Amino acid sequence: MTEAKQYTCIGCPIGCPLHLEHDGNTIKEVSGYECDRGAKYAHQEFIDPRRSLSTTVAISGAMWPRLPIRTCKPIHKDQVLEAVRKIQALKLQAPVKMGQVLIRDFMGEKGIDVVACRTMKRADESS
Amino acid sequence: MLGRVEKKYGVVVVGGGPAGLGAALGARDYGEDKVLILDREPEAGGILLQCIHSGFGLHYFKEELTGPEYAQRFIEKVIDHDVDILPASYVSRIAADSDGIKKVRIINEKRGILTVEAQAVVLAMGCRERTRGAVRIPGTRPSGILTAGLAQKFVNLMGYLPGKKIAILGSGDIGLIMARRLSLEGCEVVGVFELMPYSNGLSRNVVQCLNDFNIPLHLSNTVAAIHGRDRVEKITVAPVGKDLKPDLARAWDVPCDTLLISIGLIPENELTQNLGISLDVATGGPRVSSTLETSMPGVFACGNVLHVHDLVDFVTNESLLAGRFAAELSRGVRRPGDNIQLLPGENVRYCVPHTLNPGHKHTVYLRCKAPMKPCKIRVGNLIEKKLRFVFPAEMIMLKLKPDLLDKFHGDSLRIDILPLAKEERND
Repeated sequence: MTEAKQYTCIGCPIGCPLHLEHDGNTIKEVSGYECDRGAKYAHQEFIDPRRSLSTTVAISGAMWPRLPIRTCKPIHKDQVLEAVRKIQALKLQAPVKMGQVLIRDFMGEKGIDVVACRTMKRADESS
Repeated sequence: MLGRVEKKYGVVVVGGGPAGLGAALGARDYGEDKVLILDREPEAGGILLQCIHSGFGLHYFKEELTGPEYAQRFIEKVIDHDVDILPASYVSRIAADSDGIKKVRIINEKRGILTVEAQAVVLAMGCRERTRGAVRIPGTRPSGILTAGLAQKFVNLMGYLPGKKIAILGSGDIGLIMARRLSLEGCEVVGVFELMPYSNGLSRNVVQCLNDFNIPLHLSNTVAAIHGRDRVEKITVAPVGKDLKPDLARAWDVPCDTLLISIGLIPENELTQNLGISLDVATGGPRVSSTLETSMPGVFACGNVLHVHDLVDFVTNESLLAGRFAAELSRGVRRPGDNIQLLPGENVRYCVPHTLNPGHKHTVYLRCKAPMKPCKIRVGNLIEKKLRFVFPAEMIMLKLKPDLLDKFHGDSLRIDILPLAKEERND
């Protein structure tokens, strides 16, 4: 029996309304997208919904007490809260460089790293 | 007039956010080698530094970046191009000489009051948030009421949580993003209340910031009262009718200790007004020509100080242009003035720039007043373009080709957004 699911694409700010038809676990058809990202997103969302995660971690000796970080690839949607708790345990020391890997193979997934989103110099260094 | 001049520049940019960084680069790329960026914060980057979520740069860099990453890429470029950056500097006044040279008075944390001279000035001060005062919510004045962007600065830069149980008034993107951010940090977000019958933020943010966290979005509802003596204890929420007035008979109370306000942005134009520059009531920013020059020759504007954008990529594109035109002027190139006025017509709230010039390509940014789908956008009788939908929260970008205006002989051009006639719908 064919069933349908409605999604809103989060691939870009347009937010295409997506319509996915499936029979059990088999995807029959996806429509409503304006670019490939939409089709990909609907497939991904049906099979294994993922979200990219951005948050901050404590850093000492820098201009600000928090350093923005993100996962370099999206993680499982239902693991987001657990992932934030894990990241919160980090305590860093300045300096840190943008793109620096803080945790490798995060949440046991190969190739998913937690990286710094900016360079944070030591507060006593002049900018 | 503003004291001894310490240094002379070709282009001085006021504001070091994405608009200021873009303008400085634009000026530099066009051959102006004396460019200065002034910023009141301790470092350049602007609000991008606190926007730690991803979604920036899809148009400009063709990849999805977080705010700090987008900012740092530009800051590095600007430094590579030998642009001077003076942070912790507040511009208190700009004045123009009779020969058009601008003097910019700066209050700097370490150096005190100083004045620099510029051939051209680019205004890139960005915008600020509307506060409780702008909508006059009745009730007490306890602590725990703050704008969403301020909460964002507290959480993402300073490491403070604004409260534990949070209600949000307004469904603009900052409010939606803070709903997710605070949920991730362990706060309980009790609901987002939106006056209009539609969300004011991008639909992707409703999906990934509210739906993912089961945060209810109450459309056509507003905060009718705030309660609590020292700290917010609860708010009264009321549905609104077509007249947007709260129906108190159907009001209910929502317990919370914090109310975030995300009800729109206002271009920050105090300096602009002091210069006597003419403003557009619809955008809240200066009126500008096709070269992004304000009514004062040699003063340009770009980014959110000109009109509030929804994507930083568009700010960057606009600012690169503003910088380029500022550099042209500082190097003595003077283009002929514009001779076509753009007029917002049916369902168009505003369009920027305000005037055009035949023989050039133009990018016109506009916003509709009300959602409409499907529809068409019409520029005078020159072109018509079909659109699947228009939405007040989503800026429309219209590219006009150089030869298009050659056929046009009037002095004002009206832009309308109109519903499609029945026979136009089927293709």
